[in-house]
Amino acid sequence: MFAIWRRELQSYFYTPVGYVFMGVFLALSSVMFYLQIMAQRSSDLLTFIGQMSYLWMLLSPVLTMRLLAEERQKRTDQLLLTSPVSLLGVVLGKYLAAVTVMAAATLLTGMFVLIVAIYGQAYPGELMVGYLGFLLQGCAFAAMDLLISGLSRNQVTAAVMAFGANFALWMLDMLESSVSIAWIARLMSFFSLYSRNEPFLMGQLSFASIVYDLSFAAGCLALTVHVLDSRRYNGGAA
Amino acid sequence: MIELKQVTKRYGAVEAVHDLSFSAPRGQIVGLLGQNGAGKTTTLNMLTGYFPPTSGQVLVDGMDMLQHPRHCKRLIGYLPEKPPLYDEMTVAAYLTFVCRLKEVARRSIPAHTEEIMHLCGLWEVRGRLVGHLSKGYRQRVGVAQALCGNPPVLVLDEPTVGLDPRQVVEIRELMRELGKSHTVIFSSHLLSEVQQLCQRVVMLHRGRLIREADMAELTGEGDVLRLRASIAMKERQLLPALKGLPCVRRVKALPTPDADISEVLLECSRDGGERGDPRTQLFRLLCALDAPLHMLAVERDNLEDVFLRATSEDDAVHIPVR
Repeated sequence: MFAIWRRELQSYFYTPVGYVFMGVFLALSSVMFYLQIMAQRSSDLLTFIGQMSYLWMLLSPVLTMRLLAEERQKRTDQLLLTSPVSLLGVVLGKYLAAVTVMAAATLLTGMFVLIVAIYGQAYPGELMVGYLGFLLQGCAFAAMDLLISGLSRNQVTAAVMAFGANFALWMLDMLESSVSIAWIARLMSFFSLYSRNEPFLMGQLSFASIVYDLSFAAGCLALTVHVLDSRRYNGGAA
Repeated sequence: MIELKQVTKRYGAVEAVHDLSFSAPRGQIVGLLGQNGAGKTTTLNMLTGYFPPTSGQVLVDGMDMLQHPRHCKRLIGYLPEKPPLYDEMTVAAYLTFVCRLKEVARRSIPAHTEEIMHLCGLWEVRGRLVGHLSKGYRQRVGVAQALCGNPPVLVLDEPTVGLDPRQVVEIRELMRELGKSHTVIFSSHLLSEVQQLCQRVVMLHRGRLIREADMAELTGEGDVLRLRASIAMKERQLLPALKGLPCVRRVKALPTPDADISEVLLECSRDGGERGDPRTQLFRLLCALDAPLHMLAVERDNLEDVFLRATSEDDAVHIPVR
């Protein structure tokens, strides 16, 4: 598992994917920082973090699309699956590589915090909660998008479907208020990754949300393992 | 070392491999021979644990692949039909990754990969990206990858396909070299290749085992002695007499232009029993019949004949598996 994590991580930066992700992430978050903080002369970092979380929706597929679809397309999965590694090890290694890059990008947004801390006022506790929610949300998106990569044979398909799924989750949140049947609305808000993130953005350490995000990610990963395993039983390449 | 027991693999409605059993003894080179679509790749994918059989069992070193996958997979190095290479890595980085994957002790990885690169002739290209290598070199990286972790069993799927003649010779040399210290199982549709390299042959046709035998036995050095004789006597008289010989198992008359001269193929037991060598018995019989022998030759079957016979015509011909 560690070997796979390490290879994927290296691979992000042997190829343009890692740089593209980092570049676009930082560029967009800078724009958001300007609009939300600088232009408004505000030090409301939590709102800024809340806005940044839309970046996961956009960029998480970039990190995950390759991970499983490419192995399948190029038949390199034959190496992984005939090596003494479990399927769970393969999936976790790849997932953690994506999450590591996300965490690195998040770490780099620390410079915005630094700017606010120097010229304004930053509240560490509140910020830590905000960032925790931000990262957890990223983990949830990455897990779902990895599952989609595992389902597809082609990177582009994987990316497009992952965008779609991420977007659908976001829509779920917007549509919720216009659904008049109460239980459906409740169900929708239960699954929405965005409404789950709200407590963090108010500086509340919500255990329900932590548990939800983590179990959402774990569920997606378990499904991914299941998808790969059942494909093996149905005959490899088919 | 490796044993398949009544292995069947179905892809949906298609049965790719049916009730296949064979074994690869320790330290031998075993060739899996069959035409395209005979089930070779499917078989190799099952015995390396890439996917499990629909039914049946794969045993590696006596352990069941499904129950002890980690243990079994550690013992096998696999070169699939298409080498599983990551184009964005350098040769050295790729082999280091494979070593880590195969749980080679961290400290011995540099020396181990260096040794493998020298063995496979990759040392000069170690710093190049795998994606930039030519087909022959990619194949070598594939072989090198299978050697990482020094597994006692090597499984190679059509290792020489698509290479130019010189590369083919090189890869075969390498396989012969490796065969001295490893159990090697490889698939091929080239009969000559199998004949050159293997001690044991497993023939597949349409997913079924049609023959499993030692090479010596298949090519006429086993307990069957094939004789071709040209005898000046009418078939009608000759054939019953030949069938009467205790050492003769099968007689086949070949067409001849001259009705007074018969040409026959005899399958005899090499060990003719108390009456001595089959050739001696034949000589005595012909003397007694006063049938002059024009020609007698020992037929050394090449694999091609065996294979074609086994898969010929309507595929209904089954050579009984001993």
